[in-house]
This record gives sequence, C-alpha cells and structure tokens, in this order.
Amino acid sequence: MRENLAQIPEQERPARRLVGESSTYEPAEGFVDELFAGPGAPREHADDLISTLDGIGRLSMVDIGRRRDEIFRQQGITFAITGPDGSVRDRPFPLDLVPRIIPAAEWDEIERGLAQRLRALNSFIDDIYHGREIVREGIVPWQLVLGSPQFRRAVHGVRPPGGIYCHVAGCDLVRDADGRWRVLEDNCRTPSGISYVLENRLAMTRLAPELFTGYRVRPVDGYPQLLLSALREVAPAPGRAPTVVVWTPGPANSAYFEHSFLARQMGVELVEASDLVVRDDIVYMRTTAGLARVDAIYRRLDDDFIDPLEFRPDSLLGVPGLIRAYRAGTVALANAVGTGVADDKAVYSFVPEMIRYYLGEEPLLDNVPTYLLGDPEQREHALSRLGELVVKPTNESGGKGVFIGPQATEEELERQKRLVLSAPERWIAQELVRLSTTPTVTPDGSLAPRHVDLRPFAVYGSELRIVPGGLTRVALSEGSMIVNSSRGGGSKDTWVLSDGRPEAVPGSFDPSANLPEMPAIPHSSWTGQEQQQQQARTERRGR
Amino acid sequence: MLARIAHELYWIGRYVARADDTARMLDGLFRASLQTPGGPESSSLPWEAVMAALGATDALPADGPVGADEAVRALTLDAQSPASVTACVERAREGTKRVRDVVSREMWQALNTLYLELDTSDLGSALRTGPYSVYAYVRERCALWWGLADETMLRDQAYAFLYAGRHAEGASMMLRMLRITIVPQLDERPAEGGPAAALLQAIGGLEAFRRSVTGPADAYPVARFLLFEQAYPHSVAAALELLHARLTDADASYRTAAPLLRLARLRAELEFHRGAAQGPEPAEKLAGLLEHVGDELSEADDEIEHRYFEGAAAHAHVVT
Repeated sequence: MRENLAQIPEQERPARRLVGESSTYEPAEGFVDELFAGPGAPREHADDLISTLDGIGRLSMVDIGRRRDEIFRQQGITFAITGPDGSVRDRPFPLDLVPRIIPAAEWDEIERGLAQRLRALNSFIDDIYHGREIVREGIVPWQLVLGSPQFRRAVHGVRPPGGIYCHVAGCDLVRDADGRWRVLEDNCRTPSGISYVLENRLAMTRLAPELFTGYRVRPVDGYPQLLLSALREVAPAPGRAPTVVVWTPGPANSAYFEHSFLARQMGVELVEASDLVVRDDIVYMRTTAGLARVDAIYRRLDDDFIDPLEFRPDSLLGVPGLIRAYRAGTVALANAVGTGVADDKAVYSFVPEMIRYYLGEEPLLDNVPTYLLGDPEQREHALSRLGELVVKPTNESGGKGVFIGPQATEEELERQKRLVLSAPERWIAQELVRLSTTPTVTPDGSLAPRHVDLRPFAVYGSELRIVPGGLTRVALSEGSMIVNSSRGGGSKDTWVLSDGRPEAVPGSFDPSANLPEMPAIPHSSWTGQEQQQQQARTERRGR
Repeated sequence: MLARIAHELYWIGRYVARADDTARMLDGLFRASLQTPGGPESSSLPWEAVMAALGATDALPADGPVGADEAVRALTLDAQSPASVTACVERAREGTKRVRDVVSREMWQALNTLYLELDTSDLGSALRTGPYSVYAYVRERCALWWGLADETMLRDQAYAFLYAGRHAEGASMMLRMLRITIVPQLDERPAEGGPAAALLQAIGGLEAFRRSVTGPADAYPVARFLLFEQAYPHSVAAALELLHARLTDADASYRTAAPLLRLARLRAELEFHRGAAQGPEPAEKLAGLLEHVGDELSEADDEIEHRYFEGAAAHAHVVT
C-alpha cells in the first residue's frame, strides 16, 4: 500500500493528516496572517499548535465548541444581543477555539511601545489640567481640548496621588498589511474586556488542554491582584489598610459581569451609588456595622454620571459630593476624573508628538494616519478620497457611527459627506487599516482566516504593568473587519510565549529526592471485599 | 453503635472526601502545568512527587519522568491503584452497600450513580479531551452526597463518624497538598499565576482567600491560609476543629479520650504558631510544622482506630 501511495501524484494523494485543515488553509490575499506564512505553511511559532489542531480534527472541534457554549451558559458568561425583531437574547460569549500566539520578542516590543504611550498620555492629562505647556508650545491646539466633551473644568488643578490619572488603560492595536503594529485608539476611561481575557484562558485550559502541548504560555490571572495593589498604592490612607471598592452602575449595565468578576477576584465590595455617601468630604459605604470609610474607588461609569452636583444633575447613578471629596484628596478615583480628554479621537493624532514632547523619545508604536476634519486643508484632502478612508465620530465608542469608505455605496458616501460638512470638528478620517487575519473555527469546524485586533490592558500604580497578551477580538464573518462584540465579533485566547521551550526533565529521576517524607496513605483495615469473597466461598461449599 | 458500622462510616467519609480532594487537586495541578509562570528558571511540576504523595507508588514507572497526561490518567482511572479517584469511589460505594440501613436511600443513589458513571462511560477519551469535565462531575456528585447527608441523616453517632472520616481525610489531604505543591514554591521568586493560585482555584477557595487575605495568591500567604484559617472550612485548622467536634459528639467520655486530647492540643499548637509567625518564615520552618502536624494527625488516626474500631478489624477474619 505504502509504495502505491507514493506513486500517486501530490495533488491526488489523500490528506496526510486526519483532516488536513492546515494543508488547505489559505491566508487571505493582501493581509498578514498571524499563524500562517503562506498557504498550508504555519509560522514557526504556530507549528505545534497547527499539528495538534489537525490531530483533533474538524468534527471534534464542533464538539468542543458545543461543550464551550454549554459551560459558558452555565457560568453565565453571556452577551446580550438584539435580534432583527428587536428581541434581546443571551448568547454564550463567542470564544474562538484557536488561540492567537504572540512570540516573546514581539511582545517585548509591544509592551515597551504601550508603556511609552501610556506614560505620555498620563503626562498629557496632568499637563492639560495644570500648566498646559503643550498648548503653549503650540503642539496641541487648545480649541481641540476645549472642544472635547470629555474635558472637565471641575478638576482643574487637582493632582491625584503620584500624579497618576490612567490607572487602568488599554489601547486597541492592529497589525497592518506591512506587518507593523499600529495603535487604532486609546482607552483612558474604563476599558472593558479584561474579565474575558481571564475567562477565555480558564475555558481554554479546560476545553482544549492539548493545544498547550509544546508551549510555554504566560499566565494572565495576575491581573486582579495588579489592579488591587495599584488601587491600594494610590489610596490616600496613611497608616491604615486602605479600603478599595468597585463601583458599578448596576446589573443592567452590559459590563456588569466584568464588574462583579473584578470585585470577586480582588475580594472587595461591589458597590452601587446608593451604597456610597459623602459626609464632610469623606466617602463612606453603608455597611451592617454603620458607615465605613472608602479610600479608593475603581469606578466603572463615566464622569458624566458620578456626581449630580458637578456633572449631569439628572444622574441617578451618582453620589452627591463625590467630586468635593475627590478635590479634598480624601479618596482616590480610578480612573481619575477627566481622563477622557486623552482618548478623544482627535487628540489621538497628536500622541506621537506628545511622546516626543514629554518623554523626549521617538514613538515605538505607529499611529494610523489620521486627518482632522476640522482642519480645512486636511478636510479637503480627506473628502476627495472619502471612498478610500474610514470616518469616525470623535467621541463615540463600540464602533458606533463608523463609516467605512470602500464598503459604502454612492448614496452613503454623499450622506457621510453632508454629515461631515455639517460639523467637521466632530469627525476624523483615517487610512483604512488592513487588519491581520488568524485561523478561526467556522461553524462546520474547519479553519478560515478572520480579521483580528488586540486590546492589551495596563495597570498604572507605583509602576506601569501590562498583562501579557490581552483581548483578541475577531470578526466572525468572512471579510468583515468589525470586531466589536456588540456587532457580532468574537474573541480568542491570546498567548504570549515565554522565551524558550519547555525544558525536558532529565531522563533519570529519584522520586525520594524531591519528595518530603510522608506517612503512607492509610486505607480501611476492614476489608469488606475479603469478607464477601469468604461469604461467597461459604455459600458454594454449603451448596 | 456497632464498631464495625462506625468504622465503615468513618471510612466511607474518608473515601468520598479523598475522591473529591484528589479530583480537585489534579484539576488544579493539571491546569497549572499548562501555563508557565515567570521565566524559564521556574520549576515545572514534579508529577512523580504528586503520585508518590497520593499513594500511587505502584503506578510509578520504574524510570523516567512522568508526564502530566500519564499521571492524571493513573490517578483518575487506574482502578488497580488504590490512590485513583475511581478506586476511592469504588471503596466508598462498597462500604455504603454494607451500611445501607444507616445511610439514606438518596445518599446511596448519589454515590452509586457516580460509581456507575465512572465504571461505564468512556472516561479515557473524556480525560484526553479534557480532564476538567471528569473532575467537575466527581465534584458535583461528592457535593451532592454531602448535601444529602446533611439533609437526610439523623444527627446520631452514624452521622458523627461519617463526618469525622470526612474531616480527618480533609486535614490529611490538605497537608499533603501543601507539602507537595506549595512548600517547594516557598523559596521561589513569587511569579504570576503559580501552582498556589491554581490549587486554590481547584479546591474552590480562591474567592474565600481573596476576601480574607489582601495580597497576591503566592505560595506563602496561600500556605498560611490553608493551614491556619479557621473561617475557611477546608483549612487544616478548621478540619481539625470539625473532626474534634464530631468525635466529641460520638464519644460518651470525650474528656479523657486520647485522640480528642491530641487533636485539641494540635489545634492549640496551630493557633499559637499562627500568632507567633507574622512575617514570612523560611520554608524549612513551615515544612517542619507541616511535617509535625502530619505526624500528630497519623498518631490521632491510630488512636481513633484503637479507641472506636478496635473490634472491627479483627472481626473480618472470624466470619466463615
């Protein structure tokens, strides 16, 4: 048989592997694929993973997918989606079973680039609410800052402990067709998704442990502790063990799962507005033993809502007097008030300049080329190429209001043009990024390239620390580049590898050498089985 | 009550607890082995040590290291090895069969279903695709068993001995877990997501730890928590306390009972030690304490056998 097989021409030979997914996998033309260098040719760091996947096979993948949905549904890790008929339905959070792999050296670069960027953004926020040096130098136009709906006059001159504003930050990164990483946007308010990073990893180790064979994957579950230590470090509680709380708008919030997840993982209280009260510029929470002082609040709601006395007076979610307490320095808020000014999409285009200005360094991560439509010259250029560009509103998130030129009809183009012209400063235009792809399981269990981005998470306390990896979001339909989970995107476990391979254990070993001396495991001395056998014998004899 | 019945119940309690703890420990260790904390210098898990400590010495290969898959298989499925989860469940079921008149029908059904499931389903392939599902099932069934015991059993001597067995096993398994997985980590640089955190998660104590201890789930604080924390029911200290309480329930003259005196002294010693050690201690000191507690516990074990079950063992040989 073997000889015969060898004579069959290459293309007719039956698939060498069980399913041979990888041999037929074709990366999308014109995009970088994270795991494949060419058709059927895995990159070096993906070699083991791909052959394990081939061994598992298509049908088993479908099976594992079913188990995943079951586990996620049981654990309540679901996502509310609105169907076409307007009904809201819970579906299991869509975790794709093929992890995304980032080699150690590449992660080092990303990590350094992110740290640099976040330091600069933090300095920018401090500057904007104090000396405004960068404005006076003429680097960032003051109009732009003032025009941002996230600029908060109320905190002018307030410097939180350590001068840290963005305690929790994330940047959305993408890999362009030239293989370079670019920052798509910054998240300096309340970036969400970290709970999915941890839950995805847990699920992967349970669902498909064999995929980890041959890899040294860096764990991610240190995040809640990083966050807790950062919050304790910035809490103004000299001589006391600081009390930290997580503040959620409530169970109706779409990220409530994450809020409760973080509170549980940090072992702190999850509070709502009605649990907090301010007396004499000090924040307390209502407990069964009366009021207890709160020193640091990780708040998961926007500035607008946190204090009806300062911001939106109609906010029912806020705590009256909170900003007074914050100004008095008796409580730390994470993130600080007013950080949204740094993740404004118009401010974004100035980040490389900020890095040069505040840090005196060249940016390690690129921006996506961006045009401010408030600027007549840039607007003219952008409008002439509208069909090639992506247009975004400056202060929306979750992919809302994004216009993608190459996919738009003539009519939509015209409409977008009118929208831009009616309020140019509320829009930016960006060059289209050709998001990289990575093999993703399709409903029938085979692999196909799908576009991905990456959202790493950083925690900034006494030092800046970044969790290895982050949330990889994936567009689940072919060709789509919309990765937002609210719009049908999924996610992937993201592996950052340690240097080197798992070390082989030396051939011989001595169990007693690495074992503490322990008493033998005791067993029941009453041997019932013996008795049964004897009984059986007796019965036979009696017969 | 009959010494034989008391003995049987005590060991049923032990085997159910042992099956549960073994499953949880394997789940945690296996998961920890998939990810690599820290740099390349951090040690990988010695599965031989785990197997030896759980009493699976006969399943150890004569030479060469044991891989995670191999160890997990031997400690879960190998019915020949008395240490495996399957063997523990089988023994507990055999025992329950002989005391059907004492335990409730529902308890018997819960355990019998677990046994039959382990016996008939294709565990080998389930274990290959993911040990988690197997362990989750064992955990659920064991929890059901104890829940039913709480709901349906009369609080008499039978209940006391069943639970005494459970807590004796709980304390002893916890000591073993600490000695195999955590003590070797004490001298290492604390790293993200080590076996200590994975173990805590597997035994279901991570949330309890977070609420009770501020700071990362590194080897030393986890060891302290699992050894001393009275408020956490699976800590060694709490298990000793509960064991003492159940034996007190069962013993008419508990004030002079040797095992009870020893357990009371051991509890006091732990509490003293906890108070004395505020900062991190050298690994040897903690290892020494664990060894001492382990020794005392096996002494107490012998005394329990002697005081309550003396007649039972001899009985086995008289039946003809």
